[in-house]
Amino acid sequence: MSLKVGVTRFLGTNCDQDVRQWFSLNGHKAEYLWFEDQFNSNDYDMLVIPGGFSHGDYLRCGALAARTNVMKSVREFANKGKPILGICNGFQILCEAELLPGALLRNKDLRFIDGWQTLKVENTTNAFSKKMSVGQTIKLPIAHGEGQFYADSETLKKMVDQKQIWLTYENNPNGSMLNISGITNAKHNICGLMPHPERALFDWMGSSDGGFFL
Amino acid sequence: MINDLEKKLKTYRLSVEEYEKIKSLLGREPAPIEWPLYSALWSEHCSYKSSKIHLRKFSYRNERTPLMDGENAGVVDLGFDEKIAFKMESHNHPSFIEPVQGAATGVGGILRDIFTMGARPIMSANYLCFGDVDAPRMKDLMKGVVHGISSYGNCVGVPTVNGQTNFHPRYNKNILVNALNVGYFGPGMKMALSNASGPGNYVVYVGAKTGRDGVHGASMASASFDDDSESKKPNVQIGDPFYEKLLIEACLEVLEKNLVVAMQDMGAAGLTSSSFEMASKGQVGLVIDLKKVPLRDSTMSPEDILLSESQERMLLICEPKNFDVLHKTFKKWNLDSAILGEVQAQKKVKLMWGPEVLTDIDPDLIVESAPRYERPYTKWTPKNKVAELTRPTIQFAEILKKALSSSKLNRFTWIYNQYDQRVGAKTATACESAVAFTRLEHSGRGLALAVGCRPDVMEMDAQIGAYDAVYYPAFQMALKGAEVLAVTDCLNFGNPQKNEIMSEFVASVDAIVDASEQLKAPVISGNVSFYNETITENIVSTPAIGLVGLRDTVEDIRPDYFQNPFEMILEVKLNWVESFTWINSLGNKTSSFKSYPEINVPKFIQLCKNLDTEIKAKKIKVSAIKAVGLGGITTTCLKMTTSELGFDLSNDYQGVTAADYFKDTFYSFLITTSELEEVRKFLKSYFNSIPVEILKIGETTQKIIRITSEFQLDFDQFQKQFKQEI
Repeated sequence: MSLKVGVTRFLGTNCDQDVRQWFSLNGHKAEYLWFEDQFNSNDYDMLVIPGGFSHGDYLRCGALAARTNVMKSVREFANKGKPILGICNGFQILCEAELLPGALLRNKDLRFIDGWQTLKVENTTNAFSKKMSVGQTIKLPIAHGEGQFYADSETLKKMVDQKQIWLTYENNPNGSMLNISGITNAKHNICGLMPHPERALFDWMGSSDGGFFL
Repeated sequence: MINDLEKKLKTYRLSVEEYEKIKSLLGREPAPIEWPLYSALWSEHCSYKSSKIHLRKFSYRNERTPLMDGENAGVVDLGFDEKIAFKMESHNHPSFIEPVQGAATGVGGILRDIFTMGARPIMSANYLCFGDVDAPRMKDLMKGVVHGISSYGNCVGVPTVNGQTNFHPRYNKNILVNALNVGYFGPGMKMALSNASGPGNYVVYVGAKTGRDGVHGASMASASFDDDSESKKPNVQIGDPFYEKLLIEACLEVLEKNLVVAMQDMGAAGLTSSSFEMASKGQVGLVIDLKKVPLRDSTMSPEDILLSESQERMLLICEPKNFDVLHKTFKKWNLDSAILGEVQAQKKVKLMWGPEVLTDIDPDLIVESAPRYERPYTKWTPKNKVAELTRPTIQFAEILKKALSSSKLNRFTWIYNQYDQRVGAKTATACESAVAFTRLEHSGRGLALAVGCRPDVMEMDAQIGAYDAVYYPAFQMALKGAEVLAVTDCLNFGNPQKNEIMSEFVASVDAIVDASEQLKAPVISGNVSFYNETITENIVSTPAIGLVGLRDTVEDIRPDYFQNPFEMILEVKLNWVESFTWINSLGNKTSSFKSYPEINVPKFIQLCKNLDTEIKAKKIKVSAIKAVGLGGITTTCLKMTTSELGFDLSNDYQGVTAADYFKDTFYSFLITTSELEEVRKFLKSYFNSIPVEILKIGETTQKIIRITSEFQLDFDQFQKQFKQEI
């Protein structure tokens, strides 16, 4: 089924075109949503918040983006239980908007890290794990400076209990708690991950495991 | 009065002869505001006054490379409605003074050269030279430069896909930071030019506000360092990649909407060079009121405004009827745009300060009349050549230990893992490979990018070194099946007023001209950086090269690394140059250098390019393929190892002494296969017109590195040292 997908664009978003290409290749229709404008949540089946350096990463990564007009509509969309995916900076924005639990801190060695990671699928009860199975490993690239997942122990316990841990790193690159690389909210309709599935669609890219998401 | 003049000449870095020339051009004394104009535009950095007469030799063009002289970057027509613009530029002086900002703004500057033409930047690369790792400040300089490139490049959303990092003690006091960028024009994308036109059209300033940073930067970059480079910190520009990203999107949007007549980035010498060059190229005049320039600091003088090198700014010309939409577009991207004045038919640049006229001058009296110097040089005679190679005495363990600790043998993952290599979702191979490939969006073909110039070879012989700077990356590209299309160069040299430096410069230019013609790959853009000198110490002459190439597809690019254990390693060996340069660079002084000029290197490169297709057509079983670098087969095999796979040379390779295992041979390559006889037979018949030797040198292993029956390395310890941060 062809879906209508909204892709947010903030000042400094830079994976917008890559995400649009990913959805187009899968036969879906992707449209951009400008950060200053609100939208009608009935117009879309799915939302993606792509990566980049929204608003220059000023203040904290995702902090300014989380407080824009478009996010008011995103929140409304979320409340309807419809699927939202945040990738990299998009994950940070969803945490800043408190649509996802926890926070993403500076990597443990205080540097930006680019590279391929092997991830373990921990849970598949969300709209972006269509072709995954629990326990499977997938290979995706990361590229981030602030990807260390942190949550207080109470939140973390709740996340484990509610099966909110979606993907974990085989070799933790950034110091994330419980090796977390991707999570969902309690209702499992909002997902966030640091790796970039849209950069792993064909063997020539180094991996085609992004195909497991849609 | 005389003292006053001397002081002025010193401040504005002009010679007495240049002052006399200015007076005769103007027919009077220069006005106060004209001093800084001449200082900036006649600086080596802006005027190329010592190099121009030699740069004219880069005149060769072919059907793929339209004549675009005077534009910000060279353009290559790839067919299928696709074009690219590309260029490499230096940011050496600022990076030594303040490495993070120096390197970051180097990346920013080259990006603006590309998107000012209307192309979307798609690949970044860099070429870095550092001194001894133990030299003062060197580790901080390295960390700073890498951090600067990473922080700027990642934020703008352009992948950094290739780079080369060199170390040599002659860069201790002058490091090199060269940044390269490739931009893409897809079907329907318009190319923007930089010549102003249309009297009555607006002169519009867009981008970040102007501050005091970088004032006199261009003339600073045109002089040698004394001991007090620290005091030049205020001359270094400060960048903000977030503004750059907004500027890219806004500029491409106004071009797409057809709102722009001409566009030019404000780079070296800021508003001065952009305005005078746009007027001179368009053979029109401009009236500009400096009071209308958006400022960060309202106390700035007209001179400061003219010479500021604040980053992320552009000057453009637009028709009055389009200004409103243009202004709104920039506003949408949170950027300033301000009308500074207008184009006039009379070819004069009139600079105003409110109602006051500061100068009213024919731009050609500055831009086109810049001095041209034929600096003295001596015709090149080959250096360091010997009749017989003397093998230096070395021990395996000692030489490898030295190499691993001196950065001569390092995987540099700690550098390139700080760069986002895959944003854009088009990267096929990046920094871990010698040649980067990006998929072209429209045609699906692979665009190849490689950089070259080996300082150790330059030091042995500048002429061979400059040929090698072009040939070696071309050879690496050919081995991956890409056809070389065009060349950009960044000529980093010392003081051109010294005969030996100028001689190396001329020999290098002549070699690059010849090499590029032989390969049918025109030199279409570039940059010259002179005065890489501190007190009397000059850098190794370093003509850095960037090459772009084309491959039919990004599928099945044969990797640089071992793929399977227990495969055969074959060497295809061509003797153009034999030397012990690599061993020499580790402190052994007994090495030697021998070349065989009768070898037809371009022909070999062409054959290597077709090899990729032949292997595929004939279904020959080949897994990895890699050019043999300095340090010969041993260092190349070490670089081909992975965390699981090693190699064993002990049964096959027959070196007489340990040195043979590290002998440099230009150009050889290694190929791995499970089918020894089939591949050997195929290669013999394929290369029958060229004097190559084809030898089995060893086999791949599982976690074993054995060089001779007596000498092997601890696999895990080697991997650890190989990847460790310097």
